[in-house]
Amino acid sequence: MDLNTILTAILLLPLGSAVLIALFLRRRGGLAAALSVTVGFLIMALSLDVLLTWNGQDFHVSTEWLRFGTYAFSMGFYFNHQTALMLLVVSFVASWIQLFSVGYMDDDDAKGRFFGGLSIFMFSILGIVLADNLVMLFVFWELVGFSSYMLIAHYYKTDFANMASKKAFIVNRVGDFGFLLGIVWCWNHYGTVNLIELHGKLLGHPELLGTHRAIAIGLLLMCGFIGKSAQFPLQVWLTDAMAGPTPVSALIHAATMVAAGIYFLARVFFLLSPFTLHWIMWSGALMTAFAGLCALGQTDIKKTLAYSTLSHLGYMACAVGLGYPELAMFHLAMHACFKATLFLGSGSVIHACHHEQDIYKMGGLLKKMPLTGITFLLASLANCAIPFFSGGYSKDSIITAAFLKGHTDGSVYFGVYLLVLFGALCTALYTGRLFSVVFLGKARSEDAEHAHESSPFMTIPLVVLGLLSLGGGWAVYGWTWGGHFTGLLPSTCVVVFAQAFKDLQEAAEKSGAATILEVVNLVIALAGLAAAYLFYGRAPAGDPLAAKAPGVYHVLERHGWFDDVYDWYVKQVQQRICDLIGAIDLLLFKFTFGWGSGGLAGLTGSVLRRFQTGSIHAYVYWFLAGVILFWALAIG
Amino acid sequence: MQPGLQAYLTVAGFLFAIGFAGVLLRKNTLVIFMCLELMLTASTLALVAISRFYNSMDGALFVFFIITVAAAEVAVGLAIIVALYRRRHTIQVDELNYLKH
Repeated sequence: MDLNTILTAILLLPLGSAVLIALFLRRRGGLAAALSVTVGFLIMALSLDVLLTWNGQDFHVSTEWLRFGTYAFSMGFYFNHQTALMLLVVSFVASWIQLFSVGYMDDDDAKGRFFGGLSIFMFSILGIVLADNLVMLFVFWELVGFSSYMLIAHYYKTDFANMASKKAFIVNRVGDFGFLLGIVWCWNHYGTVNLIELHGKLLGHPELLGTHRAIAIGLLLMCGFIGKSAQFPLQVWLTDAMAGPTPVSALIHAATMVAAGIYFLARVFFLLSPFTLHWIMWSGALMTAFAGLCALGQTDIKKTLAYSTLSHLGYMACAVGLGYPELAMFHLAMHACFKATLFLGSGSVIHACHHEQDIYKMGGLLKKMPLTGITFLLASLANCAIPFFSGGYSKDSIITAAFLKGHTDGSVYFGVYLLVLFGALCTALYTGRLFSVVFLGKARSEDAEHAHESSPFMTIPLVVLGLLSLGGGWAVYGWTWGGHFTGLLPSTCVVVFAQAFKDLQEAAEKSGAATILEVVNLVIALAGLAAAYLFYGRAPAGDPLAAKAPGVYHVLERHGWFDDVYDWYVKQVQQRICDLIGAIDLLLFKFTFGWGSGGLAGLTGSVLRRFQTGSIHAYVYWFLAGVILFWALAIG
Repeated sequence: MQPGLQAYLTVAGFLFAIGFAGVLLRKNTLVIFMCLELMLTASTLALVAISRFYNSMDGALFVFFIITVAAAEVAVGLAIIVALYRRRHTIQVDELNYLKH
């Protein structure tokens, strides 16, 4: 089979699965789960086959989809090193999370809907990964938004899940509006939306990016990323999206969909002007620190992890902004492994504690759930970027990149370095807090007292992803084995970031600060973990920060009142504008056009219906009159 | 003495007038239907007479078509009336006024 056929199969298999589930298996949850998981692993096998046999050459195929006059929309695949890595992440993480879902959703009544949703999500995200042009990418971008909406609202009988799904969809639409404008303008300005043609036009012409139009196009395209990856100022939806089932949070709202924004930026990196990159860099750096702090103010285990995701998306955005899209992709892959493990671990805990999500009602779970506890610990250490753990390679290299930017481009950029370093400290603090409160100490509730290890459906994915959280980053050392593997990953996926990592290390060595940077990172991570253990480890029943500094805690809990400001804006400003437009609508359309045209038609009708007497004889007379009339006319 | 064309056309005219009056005045659908047939017959009579007196087969040929079509029309019309009676239990036109305004 050639590459095109396999990629088409990879894209269409989950769609087929979703259609089958929607048509026949809605009431048969078990079958739906089996189908969805089988397709998931089939996609993983096909992807591995593609990745292991790929010759490393960019692959592009395209076919016309729709034509309107001179405008032709096409669909196609553009397979390069970024695609390879993202395909590995999506197919690998998704299949294990689907397997986990079988265990997690075992007592759910709507398994058919859930697994159908996962399948349609897989179809959509694979479309984003493989798309060769911006229009096709946008189509799948919206499909991803839809499947996210559908899966957040899985527990649709609770108000909170309904509100959260609507919020996620609407906030994403705000970003996507800018994205759509950007695509249209890009087409208008460059004459194409095909990524390869765009790249060809811009390659070696950096002055093309200096025009105001090019800058505006870059900023508008960035809007799509801001919405999907939940960056400032649209970060408010991600934490509420945790209302969905935990596997959904792991797959969509941590590992793949929110990271698709980063993937998109890396894909269109050549379209982003320095101004856009600066914005992305600063907002990303701010988000690492801000979201990291907010994570300290949450008692819900999933919301803590959601803020952690925001913080890490900030790191990736910062890497793109600093001019290292490969490092962003590297961190994306590593983050997908360890954050998926963290979420699945939290899912395992929540399942064991009968859907209790408050961390202060857990505690002492390490002994009761050893597999979950140990994999959670591995992923936590990766999250804190401890050396030799996957996050240690990717996150530290982003911090190093921020330092080098300050080193070469002037001291204002040390601000970025300090922000991401502060983010790292927060990461260590909230991770230490989470682990010590949930897994150490004593059980603080009846449910936690009686918790026991989850079924193999849940522990096997945990172990697989936990091992990758530990060793995913070893690929940078270039240990090849079996001909096709480097570290624990297929060699074809490693090329994209291993070189970037090496170059960055060399640059750091050259600046003479490499050792100090590593020591600082390690000291900050360890100090944060130790401080968190000392401060939270022996916590009795509530958050010690809330007891000692309620004001600070409240700000963190409300994450800086973003939601309240948006609420105020929607209720007080936007609603007024809507009322005004509504009044105009009423006056103009209802009174003038509505009543005017309706009244005329009604009047005519009330006269004409008098002729409908219901008596055949009357109709005969009318007929006779008609004949006489025509006769008279004919005679002249 | 042989009757002329005038006489045939007069008879046809009377037949047509009787049929038309029946359609206008009678209340029974079946009778109205028969009157319609009478009007049709009046026209065929006129056609045959004209055909004969002008030594042309055109009118006579036309009559064959009219008779064929009329047979089909009668079959359909009677079927409608029977179906109407089964459903409404009446064929009086003044009671069949459901399409009134």
